[in-house]
Amino acid sequence: MMASMINFILAHQGDAADPELLRWIKIQLDHIFGSGPWAVVAIMGVVIFAMPVFIIVVYLMQAKRRAAVAPVIQEPQEHERVR
Amino acid sequence: MGSTEKTQKPIYFGWYVCAATVFVAFVTTGARSSFGIFIIPLEEEFGWSRFMLSLAVGTGFLINGLTQPFVGRLFDRYSGRTVIMVGLVIAGLATASLSLTFNYLYLFFVFGILLSTAMSGASITNTMALLSKWFHRKRSTVLGINVAGASLGGLTLVPFGMFLLQATSWRVTWLALGVIILALALPMVYLFIRNSPEDMGLQPDGDTDAGTADAASERQRGPIEVEKWVDSFRSWPMWQISGAYTVCGATTGMISAHFVPYAIGQGMSGTMAAIVFGVMMALNVAGGLGAGFLGDRFGRKNLLAAVYALRGFAFLFLLLFPGATGVWIFGILAGFSWIASVPLTSSLTADVYGLRALATITGISFLFHQVGSFVSIIVAGLLFDLTGSYTVPFAIGGALLFPAAISAFSVRERKYSSRYQSGTSLPAAGD
Repeated sequence: MMASMINFILAHQGDAADPELLRWIKIQLDHIFGSGPWAVVAIMGVVIFAMPVFIIVVYLMQAKRRAAVAPVIQEPQEHERVR
Repeated sequence: MGSTEKTQKPIYFGWYVCAATVFVAFVTTGARSSFGIFIIPLEEEFGWSRFMLSLAVGTGFLINGLTQPFVGRLFDRYSGRTVIMVGLVIAGLATASLSLTFNYLYLFFVFGILLSTAMSGASITNTMALLSKWFHRKRSTVLGINVAGASLGGLTLVPFGMFLLQATSWRVTWLALGVIILALALPMVYLFIRNSPEDMGLQPDGDTDAGTADAASERQRGPIEVEKWVDSFRSWPMWQISGAYTVCGATTGMISAHFVPYAIGQGMSGTMAAIVFGVMMALNVAGGLGAGFLGDRFGRKNLLAAVYALRGFAFLFLLLFPGATGVWIFGILAGFSWIASVPLTSSLTADVYGLRALATITGISFLFHQVGSFVSIIVAGLLFDLTGSYTVPFAIGGALLFPAAISAFSVRERKYSSRYQSGTSLPAAGD
């Protein structure tokens, strides 16, 4: 009984890892890209990598504005040293 | 024009903190949710049964719930930034080291205990406590963005891991997920996460013209702010919020474990049932974002009550309309309400009990939630075995949601919440 319950939990554990759903997603993506798993890995990898890069780029682009109000807003690294 | 350019303010640093925590939630939730894709390869290579692998996962969920209040205590007492960073380092190393799996006990310890404990450090419970320090007026909005990031992580990293596994091997895939945590999420925490705006000479929400930092800090304090987590249990809101959150855990746990089997029992194919489930997960994102946004405009507790009531009606429709129609209606309504309760519960807790013991208090609420989830999954399975259908457990789950809605609605937000203590005009909580 317990084993079947735990199997239930694992089989459909309330996240995106439902085995049936994964199979369906995979078929759809295969159909769209049609060029093997590496194409999907590369595209999704770029998306994942782009997120932190985008945040850092925005932060760096704001450097001039932060400098203009420097007495009020300290850079994080400077603050760490102070602490 | 020159003066216009001169007066442009930089983006409030809190938004970078928010972006970093969203990415942490995205990566950690995604990596953890990916366990499902490793089941078949591990079964094939080591001959482990589904039960053995399930036990490691089940233990992990339990450990995650049990350790959250203790890790939250460390967060409150020492440095939240340090707790998140240490949690992330251990989580990254543990995930990568799963590529070395050679023995069941190794998998059980690394995934079920080490990784699950580490994930408590970098959990959304902690990052939401951190964000609550950075935002007051927009608190619910940023917490909604944070939970939406966690949902997106599951929807993105799981397919990514699945294709990487197909292209390489399960060992390389575990390693890659660990590297993503260590190489991408960890630097974000190091660069952008700071314990509080005061640490950087800033004020919550990026305010600059609202008086001194002390005044800003004062605005965040509610009338029953607690120094110690135990004091929160001496007031009604903690019981009202946690009681409703337990029902939240019970109903989401029940859905996650039993929804697909129920839908199949209603005549749907396994694939179609899983698609409805996937739609439900995708609507999570909209539900989390929407609830957060609306929570800042219309108050938390009424909306929280509406979320529980909506989920209660979803169960009602599921039972009233057998077959695919009921399943789809349920999927849409439950999808919107699934994680919508999280930003509202956390922001309401922060508004009422303040920030000093917030991570501990929300960690305890999360434990209530997980216990509700665990118990409901088992009880629903037992009732299914006894009655031969899900009608009774789903009816109980749906019926419990209406008292939960009343419990949330009865929180006297206007009296207890810091949002209504500042004298500023805010939408009525309707106490």
